[in-house]
Amino acid sequence: MLSATAHSQLCRLRPLPALKPRPLTAAAASSSPLADQSPPSTPPPRPSPPRSQILTLRRSLLARETTAVQLAESYLARLRLVEPRLNSFLHVSDSVLREAQAVDDRIGRGEDVGPLAGVLVGVKDNICTADMPSTGGSRILEDYRPPFDATAVRKVRELGGIVVGKTNLDEFGMGSTTEGSAYKVTANPWDISRVPGGSSGGSAAAVSARQCMVALGSDTGGSVRQPSSFCGVVGLKPTYGRVSRYGLMAYASSLDVIGCFGSSVADTAILLNAISGHDRYDATSSKREVPDFISQFTASNILEDKPLEGMRVGLIRETLGSGVDSGVVSVINAAASHLEELGCIVKEVSLPSFSLGLPAYYILASSESSSNLSRYDGVRYGSQAVADELSSLYGVSRAEGFGSEVKRRILMGTYALSAGYYDAYYKRAQQVRTIIQKSFKAALDENDILISPAAPSAAYKIGEKKNDPLAMYAGDIMTVNVNLAGLPALVLPSGFVDGGPSGLPVGLQMIGAAFDEEKLLKVGHIFEQTLRGHRFVPPIIEDDNTC
Amino acid sequence: MENYFFAEERREAEEKTMAMAMAMTSRALLLLKGATPTNHRRLLFTRDIATFSSSIPPLHARLDRAIVRSCSTSNSPSSLEPPDLPRLAATARISLTPQEIEEFTPKIRQVVDWFGQLQDVELQSVEPALRADTDGDQLREDVPETFDNREALISSVPSYEEPFIKVPKVLNKESE
Repeated sequence: MLSATAHSQLCRLRPLPALKPRPLTAAAASSSPLADQSPPSTPPPRPSPPRSQILTLRRSLLARETTAVQLAESYLARLRLVEPRLNSFLHVSDSVLREAQAVDDRIGRGEDVGPLAGVLVGVKDNICTADMPSTGGSRILEDYRPPFDATAVRKVRELGGIVVGKTNLDEFGMGSTTEGSAYKVTANPWDISRVPGGSSGGSAAAVSARQCMVALGSDTGGSVRQPSSFCGVVGLKPTYGRVSRYGLMAYASSLDVIGCFGSSVADTAILLNAISGHDRYDATSSKREVPDFISQFTASNILEDKPLEGMRVGLIRETLGSGVDSGVVSVINAAASHLEELGCIVKEVSLPSFSLGLPAYYILASSESSSNLSRYDGVRYGSQAVADELSSLYGVSRAEGFGSEVKRRILMGTYALSAGYYDAYYKRAQQVRTIIQKSFKAALDENDILISPAAPSAAYKIGEKKNDPLAMYAGDIMTVNVNLAGLPALVLPSGFVDGGPSGLPVGLQMIGAAFDEEKLLKVGHIFEQTLRGHRFVPPIIEDDNTC
Repeated sequence: MENYFFAEERREAEEKTMAMAMAMTSRALLLLKGATPTNHRRLLFTRDIATFSSSIPPLHARLDRAIVRSCSTSNSPSSLEPPDLPRLAATARISLTPQEIEEFTPKIRQVVDWFGQLQDVELQSVEPALRADTDGDQLREDVPETFDNREALISSVPSYEEPFIKVPKVLNKESE
């Protein structure tokens, strides 16, 4: 809970008007404090806080200053321009302009349009879309078209969102660099010789390079948060159960969640609002009410001096120790100071079991993947090998269809679940999960939020960790514990370290109590709007004045 | 002691794995028009046990290994038998090439050794957590429903012959 002081401070902030269709008059449509009020063609004179692309679009659409088709054309042009260097997408939709035209037609007829009308959404390719291939980055699902939309995708479409394409990923989400895709290697928009992170690297790179406005990803052990940090975008891993997993290709079902990417906290929050809520097709999805996450956001020009007065922030001691780049530590310490300037009380907090989370996570994730991926047998869908006998059809279809990392994780999981080994590995890992859940609960009883880096380093070079699984796994230390505890976490671009043509972004991770995304987003928004001196627009689109 | 177990327990668990593999196999021949299982299906079940069992080491070999393990007093991870790649690959139904086995073995052993650090953690009285301690278990009524997009579902099947999903023969030459 918020302290009484902080709560009253936040309540005094002027609420944003609710996101519902407003009359089609210029005056009524221009009142949002989060939308950009300046003409989009004027570059900002100095780094300014990120603006909501969604609210800016909405304002211009309803004021009839622009059309969904014009906007879609400009995004598609940029997408095509940078795509040969980035490789963020596995598939680009051929119906974007048609869908945008439908939005314009509705507006033209004076009909209500949904809160995501005309919003261009990238979707990670392990999330099912009925009208586009969904491969999960795997050869075993090459050209596979699912017979249904994932619930998250269906909701995005129902609210007017346009799926611009399917983004690249490590095969089935297993990896931290997006080099594990069977199809292509995605580059980091800040330095194309570096990885974008993973496994949702395509979504993060696409949002960073403004190839789409927002994107869906999935986070089993950090796959939304670490690429957010590497690409300088906002990433949110919701509470386990907040968003339906129906239509998300299962990797480790006890840990998987669908998450959101945006170039601002407001956009991320609007996307989360769109996809949250109970779904009868996912028994683990929560029936809790979904709050309007941005209703208490406020514009930076009316923020009080100490808008977060009294908020208790715990800096996780174990995340700033050895093995963490000094540049990252500096950025996190600066972020902590910034939170103090906003009125927070920042104290170190210890989670002694933190380091145990990494092996426990990899045991659980490998074990669950060995079971979940048994569905890919070449019989009912996906690639089928030529074989004259059934067991070799299974064996060869899977051998040809899966990449090395996926094979190794299935084999490790098969080992850990073998008779006699179960107690030593899987059960022990589940016991460690209990300890981690308890230690987070204790830390969050004493603090409103916890903070840490999202990764021990900024983006590293393509190929650097490709042949050393343990080195790659070690990079997940900052994020896996949060999945084991099922908690929500928000990653915010916070600063830079040296590297690449213009520095490499570093993200701050904020962890909250279960189902309290609202607080994370509120704090994140204030943090973002008051952070000065940084502009998280990558050099690959620096010359593009519309960004 | 974590690593103490009998060949019998192992056999039971292997049977469970077999049952799972069989369940997976039984799906290979699906009746898509709601008919009841036929003899085809039953045949597939019984014969497949023989096929699958042939890939499991003989019982005496398993017993020997169990005895070696049960004599070990060390609680360190090394007392657990290291991964036997060809056997794991057979269980997971992935046909690995000899090169892959050579390449994967050190990598998998390295990770499994690293997993072993959890053996030293005191966890005696700790309950295992199945998943995040959040909401959930909102089970819906177990009532069958017709899937709307049946055509698309069936068009994904690589080899289909109304009303069956077709697979190659289930028996290998030796068991014929």
